Amino acid sequence: MSAYNELIKNFEKIRAYMRDFYVYGFKSRTEYDKKSARLYDDERRRMESWLGDHMQFVRTPEGKTMFLSIDSRLSEHNPLYKAWKAKSFTDRDITLHFILLDILHDSNEALSLGEILSRMDAYFDGFAAPMSVDESTVRKKLKEYITEGVVVSEKQGRQTLYRRAQEMVLPEDTEALHFASEICPCGVIGSFLLDKYPSHVDRVRFKHHYITSALDSDVLCALFEAMRQKCVVTVKNASRREEEPRENRIVPLRVFISTQNGRQHLLAYQPDFNAIKSFRIDYLSDVTLLEPTPRFDELRAELDRMQAHMWGVTAKHRLHKDEHLETVSFTVKIADNEEHIVNRLEREKRCGTVEKLDEHAYRFTAQVYDINEMIPWIRTFICRITELHFSNHTLETQFKRDIETMYKLYGIGEVSE
Amino acid sequence: MIFHELYSAYYTAVANILSALIDGNTDEKALNSLVCEHAFGESLLTVLPALKSEKWQLMHGDFSTPICHKPTMPLTTLQKRWLKAISLDPRVRLFGIDFGDLSDVEPLFTAEDVRVYDRYADGDPFEDETYIAHFRTILQAMRSGQDLRVEMTNRRGKTMYVRCVPERLEYSEKDDKFRLVTSGCHFVRSVNLARITKCRLYNGEYVIASRPVETQYDTLVLRVSEERNTLERCLMHFAHFEKRAERVDGEYHLTIRYDRDDAPEMVIRVLQFGPTVEVLGPDRFKNLIIDKLKSQKSCGLL
Repeated sequence: MSAYNELIKNFEKIRAYMRDFYVYGFKSRTEYDKKSARLYDDERRRMESWLGDHMQFVRTPEGKTMFLSIDSRLSEHNPLYKAWKAKSFTDRDITLHFILLDILHDSNEALSLGEILSRMDAYFDGFAAPMSVDESTVRKKLKEYITEGVVVSEKQGRQTLYRRAQEMVLPEDTEALHFASEICPCGVIGSFLLDKYPSHVDRVRFKHHYITSALDSDVLCALFEAMRQKCVVTVKNASRREEEPRENRIVPLRVFISTQNGRQHLLAYQPDFNAIKSFRIDYLSDVTLLEPTPRFDELRAELDRMQAHMWGVTAKHRLHKDEHLETVSFTVKIADNEEHIVNRLEREKRCGTVEKLDEHAYRFTAQVYDINEMIPWIRTFICRITELHFSNHTLETQFKRDIETMYKLYGIGEVSE
Repeated sequence: MIFHELYSAYYTAVANILSALIDGNTDEKALNSLVCEHAFGESLLTVLPALKSEKWQLMHGDFSTPICHKPTMPLTTLQKRWLKAISLDPRVRLFGIDFGDLSDVEPLFTAEDVRVYDRYADGDPFEDETYIAHFRTILQAMRSGQDLRVEMTNRRGKTMYVRCVPERLEYSEKDDKFRLVTSGCHFVRSVNLARITKCRLYNGEYVIASRPVETQYDTLVLRVSEERNTLERCLMHFAHFEKRAERVDGEYHLTIRYDRDDAPEMVIRVLQFGPTVEVLGPDRFKNLIIDKLKSQKSCGLL
């Protein structure tokens, strides 16, 4: 049994725990115990070590419940990024890292593997039990660093020479990096860059700021790479209904980000169904890039076309079948001093249209693939909806029944006009 | 690959320790404080002990180091590709920062790869020259600690003149707007940047004190049903607040701490869940929901 280590080798396990602690936060230890009580204790301890200030607990009849509570409007940086800085490594990895980059200090000087090895010996002088580093280990490390872009290689005759990649000077002011690290996709990379600064003052804060997507950064990064290369990928997709994740072969087309519900979806073509479907990115893992597909541009153009009828992330079900669109229209009443409601309709209408019926009535209309996605938004106009029609009558009935249920829930009886 | 030890907090901490050793700073307390600053809560138990025990052969027993130069690392390809991607974003360009020569770098993503589908359509004009000039004046004022003189149009369309201390900028992804949070002006606490018509540094002698206004918080308690996947949707939706979720007698209660000024927005955020989320308290918030429902009932929809 290995001893507890603050660092981790595999991100997937902690990804699930952090999400549960942050989003749900009501599960007690016994609910995590199904797999291993020790695993729970280790993961909880790691989170306390990384995010101590944000960990809280309550005692309930079911036991002590630990959870993460973060007001992202008050946090300067996304604290969940810390998990990405906890990758484990060997003693040799860290030792070689600093020695190699010290030997390759000057980016104008290219050295052969032999030269690097001979210079390396001096670094271990004076240690009681000098670390033994063989040629193959150093070659592998150099190869890894070439892949990461830290070292470059060049051929001189039959010999390979290695040198440090050209340094890029980062801007003196950190505000732009800080801003992008919080609001741009894969912002954790910006956080890695900010770690290069001795200290910095950040003058921008964020409202309505969802930070959970930080945990999906690696998956997102791989999906972007697939899109850049116009590749097919295989990806594991977890489901609430199935115990084991299912492997899907898909063509990633675009990432859909919500600023209002904290979710990110991938819209991808799934050949098995000949359909463009949405996948929750927080359910995806193990993205493997396969061959490029000549259909990428055509499929993305199809998605562009579909977006005219997408309220959220639901696209047309089958590519070569007839378009099945649902129609929504509702009318709201506007009082004399309520111009802001008209502004709301205009700025929030997405693919819909807003029509002025008279001084005090406006009608919203849209044709969409899935009315279900619109219902939460339509409910935000409760208090002024005078008419409502869905082409999907089941949903219309349910919408109206829900309003009745709310009247009962809050004890509202007959109200005179 | 994002999950790589090159970006590890331990590597950052050790790089800082080695720099300190090269500078001749061998005070153990100071070295440990670098660990606290750059790594995690329990890293004190690992980092310096690993160096002292020569597990990581980078520091001798006398706190000297075989490393000759203060550690630096060139940007990785991933970092450059991300920088290229963000350098194309008009919001990032507002800061007027030169990220260096990235002409031969492939961006990690482009605007074509991403769609933010529920952002409001009346966001700030990030590419408007006047807006950019105002933004940079505000940044300059914050950096140099100077006050600002701002001419703006208020919600009622009237022109206002404000002299204030610029405390910070606040960006809302949903609204796609920047606000300037101010102090020192009793009638304006924040200014939407798009409403500013003129903005310049104040170089006069009269000093106004920076007294940031404390946010007043309220607490909201919701009963959340599991029906229609509401529990997950609701917890995700309110995830960005300081909150606590509890299971009480087979049902779920969610307690949220929010800025009192945002109460109208919170009301419609709760309403969107329909009957599967019920306000348990406080009564004044519950009454706001009841008022909305009463008005709805008078609309004659049902």
